[in-house]
Amino acid sequence: MLKKLAYAFGTLALLVGAWGFYDRFAHGHENADYGSYVVWGLWVAMYLFFAGTAAGGFMIATLDHLFHLPLFKGVGRLALWGALVSLGAGLFSIWLDLGHLERVWKVYLQGNPGSVMFQMVWGYTLFGLIIAVSLFLAIKKPDSPWLRVLMGLGLGVALFVSGAVGALLGVNAARPFWHVGLFPVQFPVFSLASGAAMLLLILGLFAPRDDPQREQQLWVLGLLSVALLVVKLYFMWADYSQSIYGGIPMNVDAVNQVLFGKYWWAFWILQILIGSLIPLIVLVQPKLARHNGWAGWMGLLLLAGYAVARGLIIFPGLSVPELEQLTSSFGGPHLTFDYFPSLMEWAVTLGTIGLAVLGFLLGTEYLPLYAKELEA
Amino acid sequence: MTMTTKRKQQKLSRRDFVKLSAVAGGAAALLGNLPSFAAAVRRAQMAGGGGFFESAPENQIYTVCLQCNTGCGIKVKLLDGIAAKIDGNPYNPWTLWPHPDYETPIQEMATVEGALCPKGQAGIQTAYDPYRLMRVLKRKPGTKRGEGKWITISFDQALHEIVEGGDLFGEGHVDGFRAVRALTDAEVAAEMKSEVDAIWNEKDAEKKKERVEEFKIKFKDYLDTLIDPEHPDLGPKNNQFAFVWGRMKGGREDVVHRFVQESFGSVNMNGHTTVCQGSLYFTGKAMSSKWNEVKGAFDSGDKFYWQADTGNSEFVIYVGTNLFDANYGPPQRVPKATEAVVAGRKFAVIDPRLSKLAAKAWKWIPIKPGTDAAFALGLIRWMLENGRFNQSYLAIANQAAATQAGEPNFTNASWLVKIKDGVPGKHLRASELGLLTAQTIKKEGQEVTVYVDAEGVEYPGDTPVALVNGVPTPINVLNPEAAPVIGDLFIDQTLGDFEVKDGMQILLESAQEHTISEWAEIAGVKEEDMILLAQEFTSHGRKAAADIHRGPSQHTNGFYNNNAWYIVNLLIGNFDYAGGMIKASTYDRKGSKKGQPFPVMSMFGEHHFTPFGLDILRTKTTYEKSTLFDGTYPTKRPWFPIATDIYQEDIPSIGDAYPYPIKILMIYMSSLPYSLPGGQKVIEILADPQKLPLFIASDIMAGEASMYADYIFPDLSYLERWEFHGSHPSVPWKVENVRNPAISLPDWPTVKVWGEEIPMCFEAVFLAIAEKLGLPGFGPNGFGEGIPYIRPEDFYLKQVADIAFGEKEDGSDSVPEADDEEVRIFLEARRHLPKSVFDAEKWKAAVGNDESLWRKVIYVLNRGGRYESFEKGYKGDKVAHPYGRLINLYQEKTATSINTMTGKPFVGYTAYIPAGLSSIGEEIKSDGDDLHLVTFKTMTMAKARGISNYWTLSVLPQGHLFINAQDAARLGIKDGDRVRISSTSNPEGVYDLQNGQKHPMIGTAKVIQGIRPGVVAFPLGFGHWSSGAADLEIDGELIKGDPRRATPLMANGAMQLDPYMGNVTLSDLAGGSAVFYDSKVKVERV
Amino acid sequence: MEEVEETAGLLQKYASQVFAGLVAPALEGVQAVRATIEDVLAKEDVLLRMQEDLKRALEKPAAERRWVMVIDLRRCIGCHACTIACVAENNLPPGVVYRPVLSEEFGTYPNVTMRFLPRPCMQCDNPPCVPVCPVYATYKNEEGVVVVEYDQCIGCRYCITACPYAARTFDFGLTYLDETPEGDDLVLGRSRADEYERVGAFEYGELRRRKDRKTSPVGNVRKCHFCLHRLAEGMLPACVTTCIGRATYFGDANDPESLVADLIASPNVMRLKEDLGTEPRVYYLM
Ligand SMILES: Nc1nc2c(c(=O)[nH]1)N[C@H]1C(S)=C(S)[C@@H](COP(=O)(O)OP(=O)(O)OC[C@H]3O[C@@H](n4cnc5c(=O)[nH]c(N)nc54)[C@H](O)[C@@H]3O)O[C@H]1N2
Ligand SMILES: Nc1nc2c(c(=O)[nH]1)N[C@H]1C(S)=C(S)[C@@H](COP(=O)(O)OP(=O)(O)OC[C@H]3O[C@@H](n4cnc5c(=O)[nH]c(N)nc54)[C@H](O)[C@@H]3O)O[C@H]1N2
Ligand code: SF4
Ligand code: SF4
Ligand code: SF4
Ligand code: SF4
Ligand code: SF4
Ligand SMILES: [Mo]
Repeated sequence: MLKKLAYAFGTLALLVGAWGFYDRFAHGHENADYGSYVVWGLWVAMYLFFAGTAAGGFMIATLDHLFHLPLFKGVGRLALWGALVSLGAGLFSIWLDLGHLERVWKVYLQGNPGSVMFQMVWGYTLFGLIIAVSLFLAIKKPDSPWLRVLMGLGLGVALFVSGAVGALLGVNAARPFWHVGLFPVQFPVFSLASGAAMLLLILGLFAPRDDPQREQQLWVLGLLSVALLVVKLYFMWADYSQSIYGGIPMNVDAVNQVLFGKYWWAFWILQILIGSLIPLIVLVQPKLARHNGWAGWMGLLLLAGYAVARGLIIFPGLSVPELEQLTSSFGGPHLTFDYFPSLMEWAVTLGTIGLAVLGFLLGTEYLPLYAKELEA
Repeated sequence: MTMTTKRKQQKLSRRDFVKLSAVAGGAAALLGNLPSFAAAVRRAQMAGGGGFFESAPENQIYTVCLQCNTGCGIKVKLLDGIAAKIDGNPYNPWTLWPHPDYETPIQEMATVEGALCPKGQAGIQTAYDPYRLMRVLKRKPGTKRGEGKWITISFDQALHEIVEGGDLFGEGHVDGFRAVRALTDAEVAAEMKSEVDAIWNEKDAEKKKERVEEFKIKFKDYLDTLIDPEHPDLGPKNNQFAFVWGRMKGGREDVVHRFVQESFGSVNMNGHTTVCQGSLYFTGKAMSSKWNEVKGAFDSGDKFYWQADTGNSEFVIYVGTNLFDANYGPPQRVPKATEAVVAGRKFAVIDPRLSKLAAKAWKWIPIKPGTDAAFALGLIRWMLENGRFNQSYLAIANQAAATQAGEPNFTNASWLVKIKDGVPGKHLRASELGLLTAQTIKKEGQEVTVYVDAEGVEYPGDTPVALVNGVPTPINVLNPEAAPVIGDLFIDQTLGDFEVKDGMQILLESAQEHTISEWAEIAGVKEEDMILLAQEFTSHGRKAAADIHRGPSQHTNGFYNNNAWYIVNLLIGNFDYAGGMIKASTYDRKGSKKGQPFPVMSMFGEHHFTPFGLDILRTKTTYEKSTLFDGTYPTKRPWFPIATDIYQEDIPSIGDAYPYPIKILMIYMSSLPYSLPGGQKVIEILADPQKLPLFIASDIMAGEASMYADYIFPDLSYLERWEFHGSHPSVPWKVENVRNPAISLPDWPTVKVWGEEIPMCFEAVFLAIAEKLGLPGFGPNGFGEGIPYIRPEDFYLKQVADIAFGEKEDGSDSVPEADDEEVRIFLEARRHLPKSVFDAEKWKAAVGNDESLWRKVIYVLNRGGRYESFEKGYKGDKVAHPYGRLINLYQEKTATSINTMTGKPFVGYTAYIPAGLSSIGEEIKSDGDDLHLVTFKTMTMAKARGISNYWTLSVLPQGHLFINAQDAARLGIKDGDRVRISSTSNPEGVYDLQNGQKHPMIGTAKVIQGIRPGVVAFPLGFGHWSSGAADLEIDGELIKGDPRRATPLMANGAMQLDPYMGNVTLSDLAGGSAVFYDSKVKVERV
Repeated sequence: MEEVEETAGLLQKYASQVFAGLVAPALEGVQAVRATIEDVLAKEDVLLRMQEDLKRALEKPAAERRWVMVIDLRRCIGCHACTIACVAENNLPPGVVYRPVLSEEFGTYPNVTMRFLPRPCMQCDNPPCVPVCPVYATYKNEEGVVVVEYDQCIGCRYCITACPYAARTFDFGLTYLDETPEGDDLVLGRSRADEYERVGAFEYGELRRRKDRKTSPVGNVRKCHFCLHRLAEGMLPACVTTCIGRATYFGDANDPESLVADLIASPNVMRLKEDLGTEPRVYYLM
């Protein structure tokens, strides 16, 4: 039932997305709302989110294939597959964001190793390969020693790339809002958090229910998520207070925008209420947390919350003028500091999600991902 | 050619290099050997050199900007025949200071360019404006004027309709040009003219009547050609064609003069002077009125004005002069002023607004609008009472004394003025004291009257008188050889039965009407500031100046504001001095100097028509002289004895058919409803075919005025046409700027006139009407037997030739001939122009196929004009081209002219008259509207015309209403609020477009500190309801307007109307100005 | 109405406030530059003098030139001629600007004045925008100008986020006449009028037509390049030649004879956001 719903959703999303993709390829960036001041928009946020989730998913998978925790026996392949799909979605988002996507090869053949962007692209490519091969082994030769080696290696890469995401923004001295102490460090945590959430979602809603360990898994994943959520909120508080007390005008502005400014609703309603409080309350209650449905949906809420959180890191950092009177000195399309994703951007993102969902589901159909299937 | 090919090769080789390095680099890249790769490409890219179109003289045409009226020389840089970039013409004194030598070869100038303002840079977008008209538009029959529904018709069809008239719009018969040109016999016209002059000069009312009767008898066969036989001095029906222009420069102006007056025979052609800086010109005219030594009376002066010699003044007071945003003009005056800033040379700015200039000034004086004369009189009083004025200069009473003292000019400060009941009137004449007696003697065989004094010394006529050491002395004003007269000053006594004062005494008394603190009080400024300015102004000898422009000028008392400030200057005697007040001078383009090859104005095939009669603006004669005079005042509309070109009176006079109805109005480059205060009233009349039967416009788009026309004829933009832009007073050098075709638009239509294929343009309309009506002065013999005027350039190239030849009979003043290389470049630079625009043979033929002259013409065109060399601008501490004659400190002519709205004479001396009075001199109640509305120009906008320049709109997309934070707080207005401007004259705060639409005067408030509390201001250029801002329907096709061109704000419609006439803005009846700064308005949030 | 202060004094008073966070105020020694500029102007237009300087510089190997720009804020009248000249010279599309002029009013009536701040690319000697580029598409060329190699740039816009001066903008492929009517021969119409936009620009010494909405520089990040293509011809940058305030100076700081060398030696010189250590090559005179 749920699966059907998911399929329906995926297909629908993809249909809407189709128009978005068309517009993107026919008219380039013309109809995007991001511009030369808020240069990065929804797609970059989604990229950070998906990529992070991928890394997180992989970390979770190591519980099975690297650390062999009995509790998580069998979820590894699911997690890996989730990670792979998610990573694909992430890279697809960022690719569409390029001004000249046909030149992406240059990053590989003429790249600048010093650029965090370069490191990320290479990192994620490598990471993608590792996931794929690990998955292959996990299915074909679950006992091969190589799997363990790969998982170990992959864990390192996962930590590195999700750190890199933070660095990507963090190294920008020009953007004080990102240029704060703990910034890069946070991202691995984010990743793990979203990985856990993703698994909650998958196990809760899509995995076969007859796995005796399931309830226990959900409960532990739930607690893990809660813990990570708390840490994440702590980091956020640290950033914001740092920014506000630091008193750097640009930062104070940025934080104000998030807390009380044009992004208040995204922050308070989506990120805090829906994305944090509700899951928190539900997941600390053993009864609910153990329940497939509840756990799964909470996973979804958590993911949504994290997605929003990514956006709330990107946009505010960019939507504060580096120089006052910039907008009053020369106006024109794409020269504004107010950003709200355009229809085209939403459509493309929806399409990407659609692809991801369908991709994932198809995987669950045709790949032996669940513990059961293997034993059979 | 060599040059360009060489460039191509370079380019190729560079290209190859890029390819190679790309390949090599690509490989290298794969080997991870990046820096070298990058470096290779980098080198390739920066190799530069090859093929930069901008730097080749063959891709450059020198012409003249007309984005605003400053007329800076420009260099249009062409790529594939498209104007790809515009920069400053380096030969031109506007764009470089000092400007390089005129004789520098153009090859050397190819990479040199001067500075232009942002509008000049954006000019490309004026030419390549998608809303440019390319077809003749006719108002769609059955639709009302201004509805925006048009049909296209062929040029020939359009010409046929406007010439022959008929029932053109299904609204009944309309007279065409043929019918309106009722009087066609030039001789009769000439005779009638002299009779009419006689009627006007007849002082006795009865005799006047008799003369009229005689006239009717003498011309009984022609009475039907007159507008009104009872009033023959209204002239022939020909006068019922009126031609009104907004922005028109030399060349076209000369053609208009030929067509309207000498060919068609109408007196009615006038420009927009009074909407611009009218009173400035006519104060100049009054102060320069010339002494006629034979008549012993004043002739009228020159329509001109003075400006400060910005670059050499040690201290300048800028009064209502918007130097850093507008004026004549930024590229020319700004660098001199900003140099003063860093060099620590002070300047002060008197302006209710903190203009950009004021922001850089030593002092900003936020004066109360309309009180400039009060401020000046405060200064004058201080200067006079503290002896800080140039006594010895002012005492000089005639040319002889000036010559002796080495002064470039002199004043009538010491001339005695008769005082009747306390009112200064005429100058005392020597004969009135018996100092001179008239005698008739024989000179060269004929009787002449001369005046002789006791010693028997002869004077050409009666003279004014000065006291010399107490002794009344006749003044031989003009003759440099005559006895020098140094007059006593501050005279107040009776001579014989005359009470007399000299100009200085009258000035002193006027200045003493208030104490300095009272003057300060009136002007709303601090007394200390006034004194500080006076001290500073009088601490630099003659190297100080007070520079005035629209700020003081466009008020009901503009004439007197301007005069007061000119007098401030006159008191230190800075006229004609470097760093003082100077005037413009240009090379003669009319061929009026001996020896010039083409006396174009008088080269006239069949002898020309003599237009006569009263003009619709009532400036050609006085009410009292005309047959309309019935002894009663006020007249229905004012007459203008001093000013001319009263733009704001054109349409209302047509509306009131006063003094007579107009049947055909043609406008050129004018946006009357937009540019004029109270423009909504102009619309009412333009939209009414009953009041104005036939309305024709020449325009480049459907503008705010032409949208009401019956026919619009497309014109060429300033980058495509001819004109002579002339100069401005702050330019000391003798110059002439020659606007000539730099581009031709893709698919631009041509028309066939006089068998010639010429581009669709303004001139084509005149040439074609002339062809149809067989008017003199046009056609194969237009300039005389066998000298054709059949193409636009036939006229203009002759003028270029005159300029090239110069002003010395022996030709020693002419420019060099262009050498072969310059000729080659000239031709090649025009390779993109179609034959209809540029045909070397035809151009050369226009200057009589004189090879030498042709090469000189090329020499001038290659430089976009003619510019005297830098050193020649000054002679020692004076300017080389001085004004150089009598300056009237006291104005007898003004004092004897009658204001027909009050019946009283105008004040002839410097005086403070409150601003904002109605035409009949009454105060105007403004109930509750407590904010004083003023307006100004902003750098990125030019007139109604700037709106097509999207580049500059990126810098400033709309015009705000600027309001002081104190007022804003009081009215609860926050920065960015939308506000409506309304007034007692326009309670609704809208322009009724008379087409079912109302255009609101709603804009965005900008709350600032830099404006005097109580004053609000808006910039010119926004708030359009046409000019591409509104949809058009042509041949049933919808042409959508562009919202970027419809942004607010235009608030001229809220300005005060004259309560007595009701359909016109307030005016300065002496100086003619339309009034922009004397309105009270209401501002409210919406 | 209180005493109207002298604007000069006012500037002294407010300068730091205007530039809060932008610059380290340095207002002493206004005299120092005075002399220079005056003397130069006395001889010839400073534009011609600078073009002489330029010719000398071009005779040296590129690597030995040190292009700098000096902007005298006392002379800048906020006219935006430089902004538009740059747009025209480089045929910039809507949304792309290399040299905006920031203006602000400060003080309270009647002690109030205005300040204008043109902002080209600072051509930082330590440019944060360069190291972040994943493909070496933007770098400091041997003349010290930070260039963008349009055919190399993938359009990731990372460099924009890195620039502390917002000196980079992205070419979204628009034209100014996009929305205007075609007019079907009844008026000039868009596709005839926009020829001047399609004819292209000569940035980096190469003519690039703007025939479609894909080809570079569309999809690239663009920025001020000190008009290298003009320098190569011995022409000053477009914003310099058109500066009606004569507030913008350009030249080779390594040439002691050059005007700019004089100017940057004066004590009232400053640079934007010095604290970031970007080492701008654009100097401002207060
Ligand atoms: N950018 C630009 N430049 C232009 C033009 C343009 O359209 N745009 N047009 C050209 C033309 S045609 C002209 S006529 C000139 C005009 O040149 P200017 O007259 O120098 O320019 P305006 O802005 O009309 O000047 C009006 C100034 O007077 C101030 N003012 C208003 N009321 C008063 C008052 O009662 N007393 C005093 N002392 N000042 C007052 C206004 O605030 C404003 O600053 O500009 C020319 N240059
Ligand atoms: N609020 C306010 N109003 C003002 C002023 C102000 O400072 N503030 N300034 C005043 C001043 S100084 C002046 S001079 C007047 C000017 O006002 P006008 O003399 O009426 O002229 P423009 O406003 O320049 O309008 C010229 C019109 O001619 C048309 N046109 C443009 N180019 C061409 C061309 O090449 N050929 C032809 N045939 N037509 C063309 C366009 O339709 C344009 O609207 O405005 C005055 N109005
Ligand atoms: S000042 Fe006027 S004429 Fe000169 S460039 Fe600017 S717009 Fe053109
Ligand atoms: S100003 Fe910005 S774009 Fe220019 S060099 Fe410095 S960092 Fe790079
Ligand atoms: S946008 Fe272009 S120049 Fe900027 S960082 Fe990305 S690739 Fe490099
Ligand atoms: S140097 Fe050239 S590119 Fe840079 S701002 Fe000036 S004009 Fe534009
Ligand atoms: S052109 Fe010169 S004066 Fe005008 S804004 Fe630019 S720098 Fe300032
Ligand atoms: Mo004007």
